[in-house]
Amino acid sequence: MDISAAKQFMKRLIDKSTSYGFEEAECCFMQDYSMSVDILNQEVSSYENSNEQGISFRGKVKGQMGYASTTSFEDSAIDFLLKEAYENCLVLDDEDEEFVYCDDNDKELFHDQTTPSFSKNTCASFSVVGLSLEKALKDIDPRVTAVDYLSISCGTGPVIVMNSKGLSSYKDSDYVSIFAEARATSEGVVKTAGNYWFGNDVDLFDEKKFVDVLGKKLLGKFGASSIKSGTYDIILGNEAFISLLSTFFGSFSSFNMQKGLSLLADKEGTVIASEALTLSEEPMLDKALLKIPFDSEGVRTKSKNIINKGKFETALYNTKTARKANRQSTGNGFRSSYASSVGILTTNIVIKPDSLDLEGLCKEVNNGIYITDLNGLHAGVNAISGDFSLQSEGYLIKDGLLVRPIEQITVADNFFEILKKIRVVGNDVINYPVDMGEFFSPSIVIDSVSVSGDE
Amino acid sequence: MLSDNDIKRIIEAGLDKKADYVEVYIEEHNARSVSLLNSKVIRSGSVFDSGIGIRLMSGVNTVYVYSNDFSIESLIRLASDAADSLKDSNSSVDFKLSNSVRTEPFIVVKDPLLVAKSTQVDFLREASDYALGYNPLITQVSSSLVSEDRLSRIINSKGINKEEMQSRVRLTFSTIATQGNEKQTGRVSPGWQQGYEVIENYPLKEKAKSCCDQAIRMVSAGYAPSGMMPVILCNGFGGVIFHEACGHALEATSVGIGNSCFKDKIGHQIASSCVSARDNARIKGEWGSYYTDDEGNDSSDLLLIENGICRNYLVDELGSRRMGMPVTGCSRRQDYSYAPTSRMSNTYIEAGNEKPGDIISDTEYGLYCADMGGGSVDTSTGEFNFAVNEAYIIRDGKICEPVRGATLIGKGQEVLMNIDRVADDLELAAGVCGSLSGGVPVTVGQPTIRVSKILVGGRK
Repeated sequence: MDISAAKQFMKRLIDKSTSYGFEEAECCFMQDYSMSVDILNQEVSSYENSNEQGISFRGKVKGQMGYASTTSFEDSAIDFLLKEAYENCLVLDDEDEEFVYCDDNDKELFHDQTTPSFSKNTCASFSVVGLSLEKALKDIDPRVTAVDYLSISCGTGPVIVMNSKGLSSYKDSDYVSIFAEARATSEGVVKTAGNYWFGNDVDLFDEKKFVDVLGKKLLGKFGASSIKSGTYDIILGNEAFISLLSTFFGSFSSFNMQKGLSLLADKEGTVIASEALTLSEEPMLDKALLKIPFDSEGVRTKSKNIINKGKFETALYNTKTARKANRQSTGNGFRSSYASSVGILTTNIVIKPDSLDLEGLCKEVNNGIYITDLNGLHAGVNAISGDFSLQSEGYLIKDGLLVRPIEQITVADNFFEILKKIRVVGNDVINYPVDMGEFFSPSIVIDSVSVSGDE
Repeated sequence: MLSDNDIKRIIEAGLDKKADYVEVYIEEHNARSVSLLNSKVIRSGSVFDSGIGIRLMSGVNTVYVYSNDFSIESLIRLASDAADSLKDSNSSVDFKLSNSVRTEPFIVVKDPLLVAKSTQVDFLREASDYALGYNPLITQVSSSLVSEDRLSRIINSKGINKEEMQSRVRLTFSTIATQGNEKQTGRVSPGWQQGYEVIENYPLKEKAKSCCDQAIRMVSAGYAPSGMMPVILCNGFGGVIFHEACGHALEATSVGIGNSCFKDKIGHQIASSCVSARDNARIKGEWGSYYTDDEGNDSSDLLLIENGICRNYLVDELGSRRMGMPVTGCSRRQDYSYAPTSRMSNTYIEAGNEKPGDIISDTEYGLYCADMGGGSVDTSTGEFNFAVNEAYIIRDGKICEPVRGATLIGKGQEVLMNIDRVADDLELAAGVCGSLSGGVPVTVGQPTIRVSKILVGGRK
């Protein structure tokens, strides 16, 4: 479906909503073209190509907002959406009012971030990159026996938000991503490790850097054993910290705070973390691949400090939670897909780096553990209380140096206590996609963490 | 929607090029949901989506394209372009479109999509009100009910032309107990492939009480201990340990490319001799059940492990080509946007002969896991992790104080060999399994079992 046809459908939907009794109405159209190529044993094992589109409608009747969504763009879909959303309104009794937004100055936001390089993305071009990468990974070392997963994918597609108050905003962007997981075997011991890259232009992919990082991760795991249970000072590696932070980031959602599902409720304006931690949201960050000009409600996004030198400055709000708190939305009202309701999600989250590199952080810790991987984050955490106990891997730090790999341990602590126990923030920033954008973080040093092992 | 002739043209477009196998999957999905928070209805939604997935193969070379644009000319172009990227199979396939065979849902008396939302809200609200008034420590009560119909049609160049309607309902009820800064959750989330009648007969108020009790017990519990110790895993959702530690490593997805710790193990001992396990997709009304898999093959009741000996892998079409083994009717996908692959359905350890009470009384010291959370596994190394939602210390053969925050970690190969006691109280529980072909409804299960030693990650 082309954009003008989509807009006409949306306009007809909004126009007809009044005849069903809706006082306010909004619809969100999302389209997704994607392609991926998988490589296995020097062949293209799988090629995927897709074209999907969907539309979600929400409308208000007597103060309640009903939702419905579909992938159909037949005329009958308009009546389906309006009838279902109306019936959904009738059973709701939400005390917090949801509403359709429009700022006269931001009625027609337009942001086309698509790149000319997207047209280079073909099965043939991805195959060349993938076959070369697989070979390079297998050539790292004789112990590398397989590349079990190697996928190159890309995607693009517009998002349009339109509502009965005259808002009509449009954005589009594109990306390319590469993921590979390699397996190495030595004396019957099997180890696996993965690496990830993403950008706009596959020609900018640095194969050597990617292979070096993955090889170091993978081969560094041989010789690992457990350690004694106890309390250790740890370096939480940049990748591990991003995975932990993103798991608990729901605590910064005003919805969770207002519903008693976050321990950060009533903590705005107070110190919740070490002075070493400054954490901001920067939706239009220059170095970010995805720039997010407005949210799924059409609210223009804003840069802000969430934690400034340990002080919790603001939670994340959409229009509904902002109205309840008698303040403005922070532009975090997003739908994760066309079929989702409007929740609260992040754009680009940035941990402000300091001066020490990994070597410097090891010297800072002197004796402790460097955690590279945390596993089981979808299950081994209590998202409300902040408690976690996670299977982990990493290295033992002795006299300021990494001396041997560690496996079969768990790291257990509490997220909110960890924020207070951050001693130092490093400078080894990496980025990883989370929610609508990316998280940018260096490694951090945390004092006194419980570790279980069986040595 | 597409006619038989349209589908025939799509398949022929693929076969005319280089493919030796073409499969068309068409799906229509209707869902309704309602969610309550503290007895207030905060969300009520409706979804209708549909789409088509076309898979082409040449040997083990695969192409998958999907769309929700059903215009026939664009689909033929999509199939034809996709076939161009395949290696030439150099084979000629004699394709004839057979008559469609339709399988119906297992048991649906009352279509949940036709039950008034207000009736569903009343059902949830009664239990929510009860839980909110149960104890001052209970500060939040959430509940939701999701009903869906999924009509799938699978047509392929082998002559399969099948259609299956699956109707599922899933109920989620959770409570939060608060004491100071500590918050703990009690939760149940049963699911069925049945009609609304199963909801009407479900003792939700009784389960609400259990959720409240669980949250209250855990909110005042101390931290779990750390270290290697005997662990007794409760029946029902305790089966997630088998699902993660063993089931995934028996799927052709990993065995077929050699990255499973159980590759080449058919006929070999991979578990203690007291362990037998099955993957049975044909249990009537179970959440993970189906008659026809997403490649159009009949589902099966598959013996995976017999008295510790590995008997079968879960094999799909691609796995069959890679491994030279017959398909087992286990190919599944979340929806049309995923190519299907080998997945579990209702997977469980079979009942043994012992009584759960005897296993507990024979354990001097250890951890009793009364409710498990989720987990994950690296199928190459067998390394797994599981969260424990509700646990107790076993001391002198008795279940003693509750402890929280425990995680179990280990290697699947070792844990299966360390199962030393199996009780007779087999129970199944619903879950959603995420893997290469998306999130699919699965049932896990087991009787009460004991693992003689496993590493418990706690904070003490």
